[in-house]
Amino acid sequence: MKETRRELEQQFERILDEHGAAISRLAYSYEAVTGLREELGQEIALAIWRALPHFRGECSERTFVFRIAHNRGLTHVRRRRAPQQSLDDLEETDEPADTRPHPDEQLVQTKQRERLTAAVQSLPVAHRQMIVLMLEGLSHAEIGEVLGITENNVAVRLNRARKALKETMGVPR
Amino acid sequence: MTNDPMTNDLTTKDRELDLWREQWSGVAPLSPEFLRQVQKRIKVQDRRFRLGNLLAVAALVGTLILAFYQFSHYTSRLEKGQATGVCILLLVAGTCRLWLMRGTWRAETQSTRAFVELWQRRVLSRIRGLQIGIYIAIGWLVFCAALAAANWATIRLELMGHPIVYIAMMLVIVLMLGVIWFGAMWLRRHKVAELSEVTRLLKEMETMND
Repeated sequence: MKETRRELEQQFERILDEHGAAISRLAYSYEAVTGLREELGQEIALAIWRALPHFRGECSERTFVFRIAHNRGLTHVRRRRAPQQSLDDLEETDEPADTRPHPDEQLVQTKQRERLTAAVQSLPVAHRQMIVLMLEGLSHAEIGEVLGITENNVAVRLNRARKALKETMGVPR
Repeated sequence: MTNDPMTNDLTTKDRELDLWREQWSGVAPLSPEFLRQVQKRIKVQDRRFRLGNLLAVAALVGTLILAFYQFSHYTSRLEKGQATGVCILLLVAGTCRLWLMRGTWRAETQSTRAFVELWQRRVLSRIRGLQIGIYIAIGWLVFCAALAAANWATIRLELMGHPIVYIAMMLVIVLMLGVIWFGAMWLRRHKVAELSEVTRLLKEMETMND
């Protein structure tokens, strides 16, 4: 019993080590406020811990993690209907400011990243899920597994979500 | 045409996507305290889970023991009726709870869509549970009234002996019923709002196919 628990703890720590950054980014797509985002990240990790004993390896570990993370994100959205960050309010973002002296190019990159993240956060949930999974580099098959849809469907939805993201960012199609 | 290493799909080289992914990878770095905080929360949750289960079992067993004790040690019709009523109430409430929880234990598949569908079923089950709870409460009140009417002679003697105690007891019961009623109504409103939200989410997922 204790050995099984220890094994689970080790597996859990490894999962957080490998996918912790992705969990944090995914939490960011659901919550812009730093404190609440950290809490959501912890809730996702807790949900993974609870689901871990039932994980039988029918899907990849990455798919398992993203599925749980999105499910937690959805319940978070339900509980807290936060005002979405507007693209015009990028100056007020609560992203930690980069204190290093950076050249113009770095400043442009930071602005672009803020623009992308604000656009992702303002998308409808279904589009947002597709975009985040795409940005995290999941294959069409993996996205299908996470969301419970066919690969063909993934391609169609991804196309629409991408168009929506471009529109939100103000990029000409 | 190139083979995209991230998606394994044969696609045209997608510079825009590459740029987005590069930008996205720098978003929200993980706090160094993350693992420690999660481990702390796991411990707290484990303790809460054990304590919650223990209290629920203790409450159920305690009520049953009390009811059986009353049934076997007291001889009056009123006390035996009360004990039987509590046992039947627990049995009916438990059966209804189990019946309502059909199909809400786990998702049919492991996908996000299945999770949202399960969520919808759970909210529906909770709303139905509240409705049935109201009927059970009304049934319990009717049962108590019938029991009191059938044993009015015994109750009247005690009532005449300690009128203040009985009046205070009635006031507390009425107050408790009011609190329970408003609590149930608040929870129902909350659950109905949650149901409409989950249904909207499901529809949003559906419309992406159109």
